[in-house]
Amino acid sequence: MPLDPASAPVADRVRDLNERYRHHGATAVLERALSDAQVGNIALVSSFGAESVVLLHMISVMDRTTPVLFIDTQMLFEETLQYQLDVSEKLGLTDVRSIRPDPEKIRELDRFGALHLSDPDACCDLRKTQTLASALAPFDAWITGRKRFQGGQRAALEFFENEGDIRIKVNPLAHWAKDDVRDYMINNRLPRHPLVSQGYPSIGCKPCTSKVAEGEDERAGRWRGKDKVECGIHFINGKPVRRVAEGTEGEATPQEETTMSVIVTDGGFAADDWNGELAAPEDTGAAAVLLPSDADPEVLRDRLDQLKLVAVDFPSFADGRGFTIARRLRLMGYTGRLRAKGHVIADQYAMARRVGFDEVEIDLDLATRQPEDQWLRRAEWKAHDYQSRLRA
Amino acid sequence: MYSYTEFDEAFVRERVAQFRAQVERRIDGSLTEDEFKPLRLMNGLYLQLHAYMLRVAVPYGTLNSRQMNQLAYIAETWDKGYGHFTTRQNIQYNWPLLKDVPDMLDALADVGMHAIQTSGNTIRNVTADHFAGAAADEIEDPRPYAELLRQWSTDHPEFQFLPRKFKIAVTGAPNDRAVVKAHDIGLEIVKNDAGETGFRVLVGGGLGRTPMIGKVIRDFLPKDDLLPYCEAIVSVYNLLGRRDNKYKARIKITVHENGLDEFKAQVEDRFALLRGQFGGADQQLLAEIKAQFARPDLPARDLSGFTTAYDNDPVFRAWVDTNVAEHAVDGYALLTISLKAHGETPGDATAEQMREMAALAAEYSSDELRISHEQNVILPHVAKSDLPAIHARLQQHGLATANIGLISDIIACPGMDYCALATARSIPVAQQIATRFDELKMEHDIGPLKIKISGCINACGHHHVGHIGILGLDRAGVENYQITLGGDGTEDAAIGTRTGPGFAYDQIVPAIETLVETYLDERESPDETFLDTYKRVGMAPFKAALYPAEEKSRAA
Repeated sequence: MPLDPASAPVADRVRDLNERYRHHGATAVLERALSDAQVGNIALVSSFGAESVVLLHMISVMDRTTPVLFIDTQMLFEETLQYQLDVSEKLGLTDVRSIRPDPEKIRELDRFGALHLSDPDACCDLRKTQTLASALAPFDAWITGRKRFQGGQRAALEFFENEGDIRIKVNPLAHWAKDDVRDYMINNRLPRHPLVSQGYPSIGCKPCTSKVAEGEDERAGRWRGKDKVECGIHFINGKPVRRVAEGTEGEATPQEETTMSVIVTDGGFAADDWNGELAAPEDTGAAAVLLPSDADPEVLRDRLDQLKLVAVDFPSFADGRGFTIARRLRLMGYTGRLRAKGHVIADQYAMARRVGFDEVEIDLDLATRQPEDQWLRRAEWKAHDYQSRLRA
Repeated sequence: MYSYTEFDEAFVRERVAQFRAQVERRIDGSLTEDEFKPLRLMNGLYLQLHAYMLRVAVPYGTLNSRQMNQLAYIAETWDKGYGHFTTRQNIQYNWPLLKDVPDMLDALADVGMHAIQTSGNTIRNVTADHFAGAAADEIEDPRPYAELLRQWSTDHPEFQFLPRKFKIAVTGAPNDRAVVKAHDIGLEIVKNDAGETGFRVLVGGGLGRTPMIGKVIRDFLPKDDLLPYCEAIVSVYNLLGRRDNKYKARIKITVHENGLDEFKAQVEDRFALLRGQFGGADQQLLAEIKAQFARPDLPARDLSGFTTAYDNDPVFRAWVDTNVAEHAVDGYALLTISLKAHGETPGDATAEQMREMAALAAEYSSDELRISHEQNVILPHVAKSDLPAIHARLQQHGLATANIGLISDIIACPGMDYCALATARSIPVAQQIATRFDELKMEHDIGPLKIKISGCINACGHHHVGHIGILGLDRAGVENYQITLGGDGTEDAAIGTRTGPGFAYDQIVPAIETLVETYLDERESPDETFLDTYKRVGMAPFKAALYPAEEKSRAA
């Protein structure tokens, strides 16, 4: 053993460490990495993205003074910046360092913030790779949240990696599956990045991150339409990785946004037979309106007779206001067509019918995930209903 | 007591079948975890620190022996041989496997029980006075109304996705044993000047992070209006309650932020709209329910056996003095079986203990048992002359602890030993306090004293209404326990006041001892309870005893 273990060649130390921790789990690897002399000075590099909170939480439990490096490229989503503050405070992390690109270089190379349009690689290099490289200078090792299931070049990831014979990269979650991440977040009641629920399973800089459709790879929304899969902070053979390696899959084809939807009634699925527009509730001349879930149904009181269709929006299946809005419209005397539109799940079909909705409008994604038979199972909504026994 | 109609039976079976399918659909991916979560919560299934937890409803705390035996069977078959009775008259199993849960629900349905709406953002299991139908001070048995509310709230299509959970409690007696003032809706059966019975309706009470005492929204509500009025309240809350912040989503905050007058005005409007919906079918159902709650026939019994034992056996006498309450019928008693044996986990019962309690209920208590929110089990209709025999049986099963209402009859939430939300341990603190005062043999001298412990700010241990409340927090990775004094969960409901800085884990039991010694010094007579002494002398002497150094430095 050398006197100063951290000064032994990186390749030897990585080999030893992988050997030693081969059969350990994620938390054990992380806990030991924080104190193992062969690892040395260590920092967590976190994007405060969709799944970052897992490692941040582990660190907060093991040693909340561990340095956390957050690269603020100055191109991030507002939501990410706020989330970074909220999570750091909630977890009590005491050494979160927000690191920004060198302002001199920005002035020189990307004065108008448009470099990402002409040369995304140069933009990543300027704002992220160089920034991180200088921030990592004092450290012997850094922790990343990369996982094998993320595929591509990550499929053969080890716990410990040699980064260009300079530094060790620790990947405690290498062997975690998608479910492990989700379970960990649920079990520990961890706050989610607000953009996840809006269709962003992987979050980078604002200009180069787009939504991901059902069935697409999680990272498909990163640099969409470009032959680029990594920003470049992760190196292979000493060089930043940005392209899909030959012979591997992962080229994402942008999908067209779809506006098709499915109407569910007691008879099952059908196409929408309403051809007109759905107007805002303020539009007093309209024959069909869409009521947001925070609307007061009273606004429609004076023209209930003239309305042919009222759709009530369900922004989330957990937002139950629409059920009360529907019941109130019926009590106010509305007898026209009443539709629940949005994120309503099959298990709520009977509830929707019982409060007075005639039909439910869902998007194709949901209709694919919860096919017709799951909705038809709740079509007998009049059976087993306590309310009908009490309300005669 | 109530037994399921064919309708109830079919409903519960259908619900189990649905949940079985939901579990399968979660496994095959057609339900996301986010979507499955509220569905499992509606069926009482939580994900806790180590495993799933199933919470089973004991509506208004009433059980028969067959049901209690089934709870024992479930504990043995699918769990680790015990169950935990909670502060909301439920029982929790802490170790079930997801795949077994539908079978457990079927086993519950076999005896007319369920786990529906014991969690989630919906109307929860309706609770009632655990002495209902037997207490001497009762105006009317509250349980038929609680059952009517159960049927109304079960699967109510409008109220399955409320801003937050919603709890209703009913009492039929002026001495409030159901803590109705700390509920989202509290219902007290009262008599008006004309001699009619109706409800005083309270709204917006609750403990948790922001403890509030419920406010009267209707002084006297005719009994027939119960369902439309409750529906009006929940319906207004569903639209008005905040959904942007989980910690501001309970109705207590809605009432607080909008003001009681504005909230009441909206409720009365909605009530007018809804009243016509209930045309008498509910009252007819209520009449059928009431018939089932008729008090059992309790024939006069000779008291000499009881008197002899009471006069000659000091252990029996101490147990009777603490654990037996006055029954409405002469010669009978309400017997509370303590689940707070010194050093054990408060509220836990083994399958064997459950079976013994079921057997005693069948033999001696008209086949009835009750679960109290103070996590004990009650035999509500026991002839006093049978008490010596019952006491002997309980002694054999570790169930004869004589401490009801005393310092070791502690309410404690599961705390960091089980709960993912907890920031500190609570069960070990309860165990240490109980053991300590048992060693000192001071418990009976100290007299009535309610200690309540919560392991986090969510206050599941009701510490706000403990005479001594203990709140365990996490301060920079170290457990720290704050103490409150003077809380009260009865008709004189009050929220406790903090003594000052908290205490470390190893200092909390000595701190409680200091408080008790201070009380013993200050009290005017052994008849003056801890709470009465506190009300008379205030915080000062307790504070001085707890923080002597601080007092000195202030004097210097």
